[in-house]
Amino acid sequence: MRDAYLIGAGQSDFGAFPDESYRSLFATAFENAADSVPAGIDREAIDEAYIGMVSIGGRQIGLPAPAVVEHAGLHGVPCTRLENACAASGYSIRQAIQAVRSGMADVVVAGGTEVMNDVSSETLPYWLGVSGEMEWERMAGTTFAGVYAQIASAHMAEYGTEREQLSHVAVKSHKHGAMNPHAQLGFECSLDDAENAQVVAHPLTLYHCCPTTDGAAVSLIASEDVAAEYTDDPIRITGAGAASDGVGLFQRDSYTNLPAASTAADRAYEMAGVGPADIDFAEVHDCFSIAEIMAYEDLGFCDRGEGGTLAESGETALDGRLPVNTSGGLKSKGHPIGATGASQAVEVFKQLTHQAGDRQVPDPQRGLAHNVGGSGGAVTVHIFERAEVGR
Amino acid sequence: MTEYPSGIAAVGGYVPALRITSEELADGWGQFKARGVSEKAVPDADEDAVTMGYEAAKRALDAGGVDGETIDELLFASTTPPVAEEDLTSHLGTMLAVPDEATRMTVTASTAAGMQAFAHGIRSDGRTLVIASDCPRGEPETALEHAAGAGAAAYVLDPAGALSVTDIAESSSPYPGTRFRETGSETLDSLDVTPYERTSYAELLSKAAERLEYDPGRVEGAAVQASDGAQPYRAAGPLGVERTAIGAATIADEIGDAGAASVPLALATAIDDGLETLLAAGYGSGATATLAHLERSESEQPPSSLAIAGEQYLSFAEYIRRRGDVTSGAPEGGGGYVSVPTWERSMTQRYRLQAGHCSECAALNFPPTGACSSCRSLVEYDRVELPFEGVVEALSVISQGGAPPEFAEMQAKYGGSYTTGIVAFEGPAGDSASAPVLVVGTDNDDLTVGDPVEATIRRIYTQEGVTRYGIKVRPIENNP
Repeated sequence: MRDAYLIGAGQSDFGAFPDESYRSLFATAFENAADSVPAGIDREAIDEAYIGMVSIGGRQIGLPAPAVVEHAGLHGVPCTRLENACAASGYSIRQAIQAVRSGMADVVVAGGTEVMNDVSSETLPYWLGVSGEMEWERMAGTTFAGVYAQIASAHMAEYGTEREQLSHVAVKSHKHGAMNPHAQLGFECSLDDAENAQVVAHPLTLYHCCPTTDGAAVSLIASEDVAAEYTDDPIRITGAGAASDGVGLFQRDSYTNLPAASTAADRAYEMAGVGPADIDFAEVHDCFSIAEIMAYEDLGFCDRGEGGTLAESGETALDGRLPVNTSGGLKSKGHPIGATGASQAVEVFKQLTHQAGDRQVPDPQRGLAHNVGGSGGAVTVHIFERAEVGR
Repeated sequence: MTEYPSGIAAVGGYVPALRITSEELADGWGQFKARGVSEKAVPDADEDAVTMGYEAAKRALDAGGVDGETIDELLFASTTPPVAEEDLTSHLGTMLAVPDEATRMTVTASTAAGMQAFAHGIRSDGRTLVIASDCPRGEPETALEHAAGAGAAAYVLDPAGALSVTDIAESSSPYPGTRFRETGSETLDSLDVTPYERTSYAELLSKAAERLEYDPGRVEGAAVQASDGAQPYRAAGPLGVERTAIGAATIADEIGDAGAASVPLALATAIDDGLETLLAAGYGSGATATLAHLERSESEQPPSSLAIAGEQYLSFAEYIRRRGDVTSGAPEGGGGYVSVPTWERSMTQRYRLQAGHCSECAALNFPPTGACSSCRSLVEYDRVELPFEGVVEALSVISQGGAPPEFAEMQAKYGGSYTTGIVAFEGPAGDSASAPVLVVGTDNDDLTVGDPVEATIRRIYTQEGVTRYGIKVRPIENNP
């Protein structure tokens, strides 16, 4: 079985862009990804494309992948739209790895795109809720923020996690995001800002919630047979774990962690032959601050119940033992749902190729990306390592 | 004296916990026309005649230790059924586990409907569940609206019933225009010709009373149709009873006009108070009257369970939000959609918390569909209905403006945030199953993880003109 390599990755700016479409943002992300490939890459080299997209707002619900691929000039490339809510493009990466490993493709686009800011304020809440469990959870009046707020309430009750610890996550994300030129909310915030912001779903305030984002991201994944044609500095994808679980929180074994994330992490670590202590930095799915605290625990960065303490300790800041979300994470960088997983790979690529500028982690060898769909119904965890081709 | 096959075996009553005072209403409307009403009950944003009727009936069955499966006839009386056409006894029957072969009837179009259904049940030789539930409305400036209250009463009637009905009498005479609601209208109307209305009321009651075999002087409590708090006292003459007897069985002064539930509910409170000789006098425009005389021996008080106390007082602004006067309906963007057939398939789960034990590993699953949540086997489930009490496992408060579109109008009617969470309901083997539920009757800050709650049935939302009902929970006071 052939190894898969990340040979390039790029994204559009994240934000609110009335002059852009889900197609034009994808085209920009593809151009940036192609430009990031050290030896360059022709469109003709692309064998396959996977496009993550929830299709917020409706737009092209059927056939959105051909729509974006053709718009980006990737004429005729076989393509598939992937939908696993916020983990859509984490699954794009997974599919790309599978295409490469199967031998059917040598270079694959694993991307995602989403436009969320061009629908009315009456329409958006519908679309933000489409990935909740519809028949029970949603009929109890629960929103996406509400589910994570319920998780926070259970985490607080079980482990004594404090709201201020959630706010520490937000402060860190904004501090990192302020150094990311692509970030939607690229400004710093104080602990007081986070604590005193408007409550969205008790106990979560506005600063404990990610924004509504337009954006696209693309990673280019190549087989070991061709990777050396594109780069002398390849990044091997050594671990690919994924898992699913009940769509509704009430259908799960735990309300204080995401069992699918633990399982996906175990699978990725096992495939890579490494453990949490071997990870130099991570991009985790912090759609809500409590999600980052759970990610620490689900990924084995700390014991169960210690996530809040870890957030408060500063160890996951850029200058800490294990920097998490140097991109700013979903909170500051933004969360264009279908593009988030691919965008995490963009940050991993930049860190491992020393192109992260002011937020560069010193000489990292191994990074992890953790992408969660909904409140934990679908999760991917990928481990990326600097490597010699064919090692 | 006529012998009737059935007597009263159990009594239930329910009045919404929300109240508004006449002073607050007078401030708001600029006047207050409902005589003798000091405060009235207000249905919450997710209550209607079905949910209130369920509340009263559940209490009647529980009080009497009566299993819904043993009911032969289910009668629902209301002038405000939430839909003009569609038999709501199918919903109520499923909520209360009444057998599908039971005889069902809906009695409507008259405030006498409650007493008409009651009289029918007394004349029946099976076990009848009579549910009278109502929440009338009027136009803002009218006495009808100022008095409009809410409430429900339910009676289990069967041959072993402890409280006997000694006689029933009826009367009818055409008196159009005293109180009516045009087809398609949600609000009551009246010609407002006071002497004409009073004549109708007195004449119909007198005629029925003349046919009724009873000793007016011995009546301890007279539950009389009350469009406001003063009207019942005008029945003292026609019925020949003391004003004190009317006062002993009048609650319209505290809950307002409960329409078809007015007399059944007033009678329920009098029974609950232990009165032994009772008169019930239903009257409805059109006009008809239905009277019943009840008498019991000293030792034979039927069991009763009433939840009729006011617990939360509304401001006028809160009141008109609850009425929907200042809310603008569902947003245009569309809401989360669960098709009616999908909802229908899960009705026993939503109405009776039907869960299931896995036939492989015995784990309790809710809802009992798909692979087992524990052993993951695709199994048949051994169905079991969970008690309506549970413990909060997780919760959040959805802030104002943050509701999903299909809940936006309910949130607006609440006038702010609402609580939603996950509740663990205990199974028969000490195990538990969890369900996501909306929390009612809480100030949102009161509830924490680990608190006990009880389930009830309320409106979830209405889409495509079809109201989805289902379980919600409310806090239980901690009894140390």
